[in-house]
Order: sequence, then structure tokens, then C-alpha cells
Amino acid sequence: MKKHTNLLLLATENLLRHKTKSIVVSLCIIAILLPFITAIAISEGVRLQSLGSVEESADLYLTFDEFGRNAAIPLKYLDEVKEVFGVKKVVPRIIGRCYLQDKLAVIVGIDKEYLPESTTCVTGRIFENANEVVIGNELAEYFNLNIGDQFSMRGQNRKLFTIVGFFSSASNIWSASTIFMPFEDAGDLFGKREFATDIQIYSVPGHNGEIATELYYIFENEPYRLQDKGMIELYVKKGFMLKEGIFTALYTVAFALGIPAILVASGFGLSERRKEIGIMKATGWQTLEVLELISFEQLLISLFGATTAILLSIIWMKCFNGAFIAQFFIGEINLLPEFAVPAKFLPLPCLLSFFFAIILTMVGSIYSSWRASTESPVAALK
Amino acid sequence: MIRTEKLCKYYSIHSRHEVHAIRDINLNISKNTFVVFNGPSGSGKTTLLNIIGALDRPTEGKVFIYDEEITSFSDIGLSRLRREKIGFIFQNFHLIPRLSSWENVSYPLIPLGISFRERFQMAKLLLEKVGLGDRLDHAPEELSGGQQQRVAIARALVNNPEIIIADEPTSNIDDETSEHLLELLKELQTDGVTILVATHDAGFEKIADEIYKIKNGRLE
Repeated sequence: MKKHTNLLLLATENLLRHKTKSIVVSLCIIAILLPFITAIAISEGVRLQSLGSVEESADLYLTFDEFGRNAAIPLKYLDEVKEVFGVKKVVPRIIGRCYLQDKLAVIVGIDKEYLPESTTCVTGRIFENANEVVIGNELAEYFNLNIGDQFSMRGQNRKLFTIVGFFSSASNIWSASTIFMPFEDAGDLFGKREFATDIQIYSVPGHNGEIATELYYIFENEPYRLQDKGMIELYVKKGFMLKEGIFTALYTVAFALGIPAILVASGFGLSERRKEIGIMKATGWQTLEVLELISFEQLLISLFGATTAILLSIIWMKCFNGAFIAQFFIGEINLLPEFAVPAKFLPLPCLLSFFFAIILTMVGSIYSSWRASTESPVAALK
Repeated sequence: MIRTEKLCKYYSIHSRHEVHAIRDINLNISKNTFVVFNGPSGSGKTTLLNIIGALDRPTEGKVFIYDEEITSFSDIGLSRLRREKIGFIFQNFHLIPRLSSWENVSYPLIPLGISFRERFQMAKLLLEKVGLGDRLDHAPEELSGGQQQRVAIARALVNNPEIIIADEPTSNIDDETSEHLLELLKELQTDGVTILVATHDAGFEKIADEIYKIKNGRLE
């Protein structure tokens, strides 16, 4: 045990003695791991928020189907759907997009009693009357809006809205540029008074099958689409897998480019190291002891590099809001996101990054060290 | 104690030319002997000492230390032999540049699991013995050639070896240090250590028990 402690201490001393090399290798590790850890944290954060939103949402979503995509559904079916056995509640909703000056805002038209539970007003109140809106905190900050301010948007119909409150939501991504307004106002704004983009159906547990059968008869000759919570969850997960896949592909290229950098950095002073190994062998060190020392050095520098990368990643999220990386996972945002980008640092990706760092540094050093320590000391000393 | 049988070492250059560094060397060296190998440069002295000292393997022939054939030892066996029985003094000192004198001396003790304090004490004693008690924290580059050689000697002694092998130990140091080194090696011999030296230095011949002349890789 004392031998291993001695080797560990010597490895630490060696890293401190070869400061330049240690710093260069650490910087390479950090440069490679920082985007990876940050991306995984953002991806996890966004995924958790998305799944949280799905969890909070309705049991079934009813829309029309046009060209294989969701399409607006006429409100004339609302009463019939309400009467279906097993349906507890139906909520028509309009979700659309409109420009507020130069910024694309998400408009959610919904009656106030059906607002998501996670949406609470931080200032002001929820809308009570027509043409009143509540808007997301970040949007308000962006335009420097106050309660009582009035604005209009570039919809099909010009309408003047009054801000009555600012809301925050558990889901930062969606609340950032969202404007909640009464359902009818949203219909007016988009010029579709008789339509909803979807009808949310809350059902009695275990009745989704029956409801689907009933809806089949109601919409017998209409192209409708019914999706349940499970399908939505699946879409969310699939979407993230795709985005993570794209990021992973891009990252793999960067990772592959990083390996030569590490190899070059690890190769600094290789001839000096070879001679040092020759001296060690000549004075009685065994090959395994030499390799243990080198492995300890790589382990320590990997641990340092990976830990620093994790800490910097946390700082990157806190101070720079995941700039340059968040856009891979959240659509239509700037390089510097204006809302708090969600991030979740899980132990597994952190361990994985440590593992990556070890592999990188080992690749850069262990083979040359092994060669130097297995040849005769005379050859290594030449 | 040390016996060689038909020891040969060939080097192949570009796979075409074969250089015979040593050939058919038969030696029998008793314990506690001071042996000097003499011969011109390139005669094979260093190669012979490297093979006897388990730093290199012969192409042909055998080396026995205490009747054990070390040429058949594995890499681990050879390392153990070097650690337990042999101390080297190299012509070019071969000190690790970034380490201080005492760290260089105590380096072979690290894998033995000896504590920092003990290592320091052992290295300090040896450096005082070679007259460098006031240079414990000096890096090799801060020492003269003679001082570096003395650090290398202290390192060779740190494992209490039974055999000291010195390859041209005085070629890079001044006369005064050479004298001191000679005295030190003689003192070690009186302590029971077997000394093998490859040198041109006539001073060694005066104190040697046995002198072997090597020319063109052969004993004369």
C-alpha cells in the first residue's frame, strides 16, 4: 500500500514539476469536455421540462389532419365531444405565432380557468376581460414592458392588447416568449373565430379506448387526428434523440480533432521521459511500477481536467446561459439565449466525461511509456 | 560471484552489417574484488558491463551471478536483480534533471514503499558521505560535473548493492574528484562490495585486484 501511495504522491509531484505540459493537457481536456458536458446538461434540462409539461397536460389531443400534419379543428364538434362517455373536460386551445415588433412570440389562446397549473403570475393578475394578456417574464424584460402597457401584433387582424400580468412557468423554454390571452381574442387575432388548433380532452382513467371509438363515429367522414399523452411523450423523446444525435455527430468530429491535440500535448518532453524511464529501470524500477506511475499521472490530470470542465460548465450555464450550445437543443433562439436555459447535471455524463479524459490522456502517453519501459534500459537511456 | 560464459553481443546495422561489440567473453569474478576493464574506446567495455549489470541482454552466452543464470531472467527478474544487488554509476551521470540531489538519490527507493522521511534521511546520509551534504536541494544543472557524479554514486549506493558497476566514472570529472571517487570505491570494497569499473584512468589500475584488457570485443 505504501508503494502505491508513494507512486501517487510522485505522480502529483511530476505533474507539478512539468507545469507547462500539465496545463496544456488540462486545457485540451477542458476544451474537449466543456461543450460535451454543457450540451448534455442542457439536453437533460430541456428534456425534463418537456416531459414535465407533457405530464401536466391533457390525456388526449384532438385535431384535424391535413397533409399528414395537425390542422385546426372546428369548434362545432366541441359539444359532441363533451358528451362522450368518459370525458371529464374539454379545453379548446389556440397556439400560434405572431411577431411582436421583431420578435416572434408564441400566442396561447385559452380560457383563464384552463391555464396550466405551473403558470403563475409573478406580477399583476391573470386576464379577466377581452383584450387583456399576460406575458412571459423574459419577453417583458426584452421589451421593457410594464403592467398597463398596450401593444399590438402583426396578426391577420390588428388588435390592441393590454398587459395585466407577467407570468413565470416551470418551463422556461416556452414561457420565454409566450403570451397568454383569452381564447376568443386569439381566434380574432388569427382570423379563425370558429376554430381551435387543438382540443385537449381530460378523461376518466382507462376510458381513452372508448373515447377513441366514440370519436371515430363523430368524425366518421372527417380527417381527424387523436393523440394521447404517451404519443406526445414519445415525440418529445424522439425529438431529443434526434437533436442529441446531431450534436453527437458534430461533437464526434470535434472530439476526433481533439485527440491529435492531446497526443501532441502529451508527447511534449517524450524523449526526456523516455530517458527518465530508462533511469528508473536501470535503478531497479519494474515495468509495472513505471506504468502505474504514468497511469496515476494520467488519472490525476484527467480528474483535474474533467472536474474543471464540469465546474466551468456549471459556470457557463449560470453566467452565460449555455451560450453557443443551447441552440442545438432549443429551436429559434439566439447564440446568447434571453431566458434561463434549463440544465440538469447528472452524475452519469460527469463520470463519462472523466472516462473520456482518461482515455484521451492514456492514448497520448501509455503506449510510448510502455515501449520505453519494456525495452532494455540501455536502449531507453540512449 | 560473477561468471560469464562465451558472452557475445552483436548489433545489426540496417539489417545488413553486423557489429560484434563483444565476443566469447569468459570471466570469473570473486566476491569483494575490485575489477578494472581497460581498453580503447569502442572496445566493448560498456557493452560488457551493461550485460553483467542486467541492463542489456547478450546475443549469445550466459551470465551467472551467485550461480544463477541471469540471462534467462524475465524483465521482472532483471529489475529485481538491479534493485537488490547492483548499483550503477554512469559515464553521463544520468540524473533526472528536474529533481534535486536528494530526490535523485532516493528515486530508486520510491517503489519499495519507503516513507518520505526515511528516504530523505537515507539520501541525506549518502550525500553527506560523498561530500554533498550542503547540496541536498540543488538540481543537477546547479551542480558541477564532479558533484553530479557524486550524486550518481550516492544513488548507486542507496539500495546497499553487493555489486557496483561504474562505466568511465572519471571521464567527465576533475582530478581531485577522481581521487575522491577512487577512495570512495576502495572504501566500499572494504565494506564487502564487488566493484567493476570500465576506465582509461591509470589511477584505478593501481588499486584494482584484477585488470582485464579488452580489445575489439575480446579479452586479451
